[in-house]
Amino acid sequence: MTVATSKPRLAPRLSALTKIVELGPGRLDQKLLSEAEALLLLAGDRLKLSSEHTVVALAGGTGSGKSSLFNAMSGLELSPTGVRRPTTARTHACVWGLEGAAPLLDWLQIQWRHRFARASALDKGESQLHGLILLDLPDHDSIRALTDTEADRLIGLADLVVWVLDPQKYADASTHRRYVTELAGHEAVTVFALNQADRLAPEELAELVIDLNDLLRREGVEHPSVVPTSAVTGRGVESLKSVVAGAVSRRRAAIHKLEADLHRLMQRLTKSMPVGEALAAPASVDEARRMGLTDALCDAVGVPAVGEAMENVYAERSSQWVGWPYPRWVDKLRPDPIKSLRLEDIGDEIRGITTGSVSAQSAEVTNAVQALADGLTVGMHPVWNTAVHRAARSQLAQLPQALTTSLTEVAPQLDRVPGWWRALKVWQYVLVAGFGLGVAWLLAGLLLPGGLPSSLQLVGDTEALPWVGLMTLSVLGLGALSGIASRNFVELGASKERERLEREMRRRVAGIAEKMVVEPVETELARHHAFYSAMRGLSG
Amino acid sequence: MNTAMDDEHDEAPGEQTLQFRALIDLPADHDAAPPSTEATTEVDAEADETPKDDPPETPEPPALTPDEPEASALDEPEASALDEPEDSVPDEVEASALDEPEASALDEPEASALDEPEASALDEPEASAPDEPEGSVLDGPDGFAPDESENSVLDEVEGSALDGPEDFAPDEPGDSVPEESEGVVAYFEAQDVSQESAPVAEATPWTFAAKDAEPEADESASAAEGVVAYFEAQDVSKESAPVAEATPWAFAAKKAAKPEAVDPSSRRPQDPAPAAAAVPAPAAEAKPWAFTTDADAAPSGDFEAAQAPAAEREVPVEDAEREVTAEKAAADSVPHEGGAEGTSGGTEDGGPAAEKEEELPAEAAQALMAAIGALRESVAGLRFGLDLPGADEAKQERADLVAQLEDYVLPRVRMRTAPALIVIAGSTGAGKSTLVNSLAERNVSRTGVRRPTTGVPVLVCHPDDQKWFAEGELLGRLRRIDKQTSDTDMRSLMVVATEKLPQGVALLDTPDIDSVVEEHHEIAHRMLDAADLWIFVTTAARYADAPAWNLLRLAKERGARLAIVLSRVQPKARDVVVKHFVRMLTEYGMGEIDRFVISESKVADGKLPDSEVTDLRLWLAELSVDEARRALAVKETLNGVLDSFRTRVPALARHLEKQVAVRTELRGDVDRAFMGALTEIDKAFGGGALIHGEVLARWQDFSGSGDLMRSLQIRKNGRVSKQASERIIAFRAALRAGLESVIIAAANRACEEVIGRWRHRAEVGATLGEGLDQPSDELLRHAGRAVSAWQEHITELVRTEGVAKRSVSKLVSFDPDSLSLIFMVAMFSGGRTEGVPHRLVKALLGAESLRGIGAKALSDLRARIGMLFDEESMRYVQALDSAGVPDESAATRLYQATYNLEVAR
Repeated sequence: MTVATSKPRLAPRLSALTKIVELGPGRLDQKLLSEAEALLLLAGDRLKLSSEHTVVALAGGTGSGKSSLFNAMSGLELSPTGVRRPTTARTHACVWGLEGAAPLLDWLQIQWRHRFARASALDKGESQLHGLILLDLPDHDSIRALTDTEADRLIGLADLVVWVLDPQKYADASTHRRYVTELAGHEAVTVFALNQADRLAPEELAELVIDLNDLLRREGVEHPSVVPTSAVTGRGVESLKSVVAGAVSRRRAAIHKLEADLHRLMQRLTKSMPVGEALAAPASVDEARRMGLTDALCDAVGVPAVGEAMENVYAERSSQWVGWPYPRWVDKLRPDPIKSLRLEDIGDEIRGITTGSVSAQSAEVTNAVQALADGLTVGMHPVWNTAVHRAARSQLAQLPQALTTSLTEVAPQLDRVPGWWRALKVWQYVLVAGFGLGVAWLLAGLLLPGGLPSSLQLVGDTEALPWVGLMTLSVLGLGALSGIASRNFVELGASKERERLEREMRRRVAGIAEKMVVEPVETELARHHAFYSAMRGLSG
Repeated sequence: MNTAMDDEHDEAPGEQTLQFRALIDLPADHDAAPPSTEATTEVDAEADETPKDDPPETPEPPALTPDEPEASALDEPEASALDEPEDSVPDEVEASALDEPEASALDEPEASALDEPEASALDEPEASAPDEPEGSVLDGPDGFAPDESENSVLDEVEGSALDGPEDFAPDEPGDSVPEESEGVVAYFEAQDVSQESAPVAEATPWTFAAKDAEPEADESASAAEGVVAYFEAQDVSKESAPVAEATPWAFAAKKAAKPEAVDPSSRRPQDPAPAAAAVPAPAAEAKPWAFTTDADAAPSGDFEAAQAPAAEREVPVEDAEREVTAEKAAADSVPHEGGAEGTSGGTEDGGPAAEKEEELPAEAAQALMAAIGALRESVAGLRFGLDLPGADEAKQERADLVAQLEDYVLPRVRMRTAPALIVIAGSTGAGKSTLVNSLAERNVSRTGVRRPTTGVPVLVCHPDDQKWFAEGELLGRLRRIDKQTSDTDMRSLMVVATEKLPQGVALLDTPDIDSVVEEHHEIAHRMLDAADLWIFVTTAARYADAPAWNLLRLAKERGARLAIVLSRVQPKARDVVVKHFVRMLTEYGMGEIDRFVISESKVADGKLPDSEVTDLRLWLAELSVDEARRALAVKETLNGVLDSFRTRVPALARHLEKQVAVRTELRGDVDRAFMGALTEIDKAFGGGALIHGEVLARWQDFSGSGDLMRSLQIRKNGRVSKQASERIIAFRAALRAGLESVIIAAANRACEEVIGRWRHRAEVGATLGEGLDQPSDELLRHAGRAVSAWQEHITELVRTEGVAKRSVSKLVSFDPDSLSLIFMVAMFSGGRTEGVPHRLVKALLGAESLRGIGAKALSDLRARIGMLFDEESMRYVQALDSAGVPDESAATRLYQATYNLEVAR
């Protein structure tokens, strides 16, 4: 079956169109979308119905002689002709080879009483017309046609359209602008019959055919097939028949017609949404962009600043615990500005500030998401651009809160006191005590060499005094050293803690970003990619 | 029947030079009277009836109703004069008289009053001799009879009321009482169609007191003033309507020297006075509305109209009588003359004569010219920037209007007696050129089988008229050429003179209206815009084509005089086709138009056999000879065009207003979006949204690391430590970044909102907003700069104005950089005034100074952001402006110009 062999070409394009219709809503112009749906429907219907039949429609303006030509071709007076304009109001159909045609005629919505059949076997020499369904359409240009779209509808459904023109009306805008120009790609399934040729002198006819050819070429019909006919004299009817018979016997007109329809729709789709570089747009969010988003979100939360603050605050606070007490005591002797401002209680509050939690700044979060979407949609069609942005922002309202909640869980407790700080403090005080003891020993040994009770004889031992002094100094030095050392330890620990903290926060931020931003965006990007792949598939 | 009304406006009060341009004459009425037997009989019947409801003197009472409260309510004579008839009349007139429904309907009462006679005069002939072309041209009344089957009496009256008092004059009881120089003609028609309900009938008599300058056909007539009080009270009570509705109209028309064809009613020759005085009577039970069209008639115009005539009338009662008889004689004589030439011809003779004699007074013509010129200026100056739906049509309409004003209206108004231009229009292949060639008896326009054939319009006229067309302003924008050469284009006009064409008419062969060459449609329509008469050519194959009927509809809308040629009719199909076509035309309300049928015949050398065009040729010849009719046709078309301005120009103005409104809306969208952004920012500042993320961390860092305490130092020897730690710098940077991000986010949202709203509002919004859906690239840079400038400003403020409390400054010095940061945190941390930063700055600066700095800082920041946003919104405004700025006052000017034109008419 010829249809089967050609289907592979048509089928993938139709499935691409199906895909487009599926992905189109909200992205594609509503009118185009419904046209695409209508075409899908039409193609489905037509391909389901008899492929043995070819629907040929005689279309044209009122008074061009469609019905006369219809009668001339069918050889019977089936369609009433007349001088009143418009004459034909309902479509008439004549079928050569009736079997299997009924569903097709139902689909075309031809009324029963306007259906006629010709048993082609009985007609000598017309066997090649077997499978022809000839339609005599109402006109499309009279005042009646303003309210009746039957001609319009059937011109869209017919496999092959024969435009019946006449010397008076062949250049009418109503025919050319509305149909011929629009259907320029349908030349394989369009025939122009220049009817009423009998009204012209031969040289006039020749001139007119040339003029019509030129006109059609100007309108994009590259190889117009123009057949001069005369329904009155019968001239040219045979050649028109043979042109039609050619199409009928090849059984390809329906396919060609659908291909032409598809092509036309494709052109309009492409015009509305050019494929161009669209497929070069990212189909997913790559690693660099994810990193960029995570970085930006981390900044919005202030992750680096949080780490830094933690490091600094620990260092400051640790000096309260592990620092050598003497410098602190010295500091305390200085006048306190807070006190002089009579804001004594504010010190605690300031300490309270440092216990504050981590939070995300929503404006920066917004900007981070925006930047991601902007980066992804460079060069995208505005509709898709908007869609990607919308996807990126789909959960923007909850994002700052989600970040804040998640990060607060790992936020450092700035006011916590590790155990070793306490131990060190004890050690420091032991050293302070040792130092005090040494000083006392020295004082006692020097000032009261003899006045000491015997139990403290040893203290009075002047020989030991230098050693004691040395030891006391050592204790002092040890204290200072251990203060410095432990502070270094604190700082070391803090910076390790900061690294760990930043890693953890980053991990969490990335997780949230993935879930709340990247995933919706990638869904949309995939849709974008699929849509344009289908567009490419449609153009074959 | 047109324009009688124009005159009212023109007329200077006191002057009664009639510029009655409605070329219709009274004499005609006299004609009419005799033939219109039906009408008269009916009227008689009515007249008889009237007495029933009304007091003895039926006719008299209604005449003047000034006393009525309502009468005074209708103070503006013109307005009401124009409106009322329009409302009431059109329906019937439309239905019946196709030719000039608008003219008669719209134009004042007088117009109709005066015109009608003519119509009826013509109709009659038509009835008898249907073939008469003129009859059908002017027809109209025909339609009446069939349409108003219900109560023919009423309709008749109505028709005649509109049409012409004259018809009734003879028969009407209280009617016409022509007076001498100042005569009062009181017309009264009281038609009571009401049956039982007569007494209850609610009468709504309208009184039009119109000072009407009417040309008189007879030079004998004195140029005095006359007042015609015309009153028709039609009680239209139908069974269905519980309360009979009566619509008596009283027209008090002051007519200049109008010995009108009104036959002095033999019954009450001396009625004028009584009639005038009597009007009030019916008013008692009826609701008479009085319209005074007198130029100077103020609110009480009715009174004047009523009383003045009343006063005048006393003088010459006898004279009146005498006059009446004299006129009757005159009236009688006229018809005879007319009859010599043919009924219709006779009728119209008066028209042109009047026109010539009573050509517009110079000032009035000047005023009209000036008004038209002003209209042209304001239309030509229109700019439609935004590509709204309808904008293309509006642009097209503007071009059409300008072209029509320049090509046709101005030249035509300037020179009313110029030859009539008959434009032949129709479908491609209909045989327009062939027809022109046949009529001209030479090949002036190319014919052929190619479609479309004619690209350059060809004008054919008599050699005597050639000068006017070759040099005149009519279609002045087209280049005149003698023959078709290679450089001919759409902007050319070929003028050919031939003796074969009668003088006074010119034929213009136009390109088609429906071929693929769309430029042709435009040029054809332009030609039609300049036409005095249209000949519409269609064929047996095409007569049902949609474009053809569109053209007919256009003609109907424009009120253009039209004749139809149906060509290429197969002789054997002739009857069927013509019948069908005529039925279609009749259904379309154009059944009465002149028609010519041309059979399909061998075209030899681009011409039809002479026999086919004989009828047309005759028709042209009549037009040529019959200046009256020609002038009438010219005038009607001109009036139709001028009338069309009433709707076309305001339509333009409406579109302009729409443009302005849309622009305002789009502009408003921008402002609203950015205002919203500012509010959003304010909210962010006030709600503490800024103290999050990095800013918060840095603040913790700053305070927790002891820098905060260190920035406060006990004053020692006046030395202030100046080191700005890294932390302070970072804190400052974080604050700046935070502020920037808030600004950027708000700007982003504002931009999206603008585009969103624009897209939503109109297609054009989407186009204009292309590429503007994001803030400009400079915004980030500018925002950064603005914020850091603001920060410096704050530091400076703190340093200079924040001279702390004396008590504090003696003790403590502070680092202004740090303090300004603390200040900013305090400022942005929202309503919490208990926080550390608040208390710190308060303690340091003092509440007073803090408030001052706080207010300054915030307003300064707002101002800076406002400037940023202004720059952003400028991009949108520029985009809007780039589309063209419609002039907001242009619409008003258009309305004004239209109004002025009406006044000048």
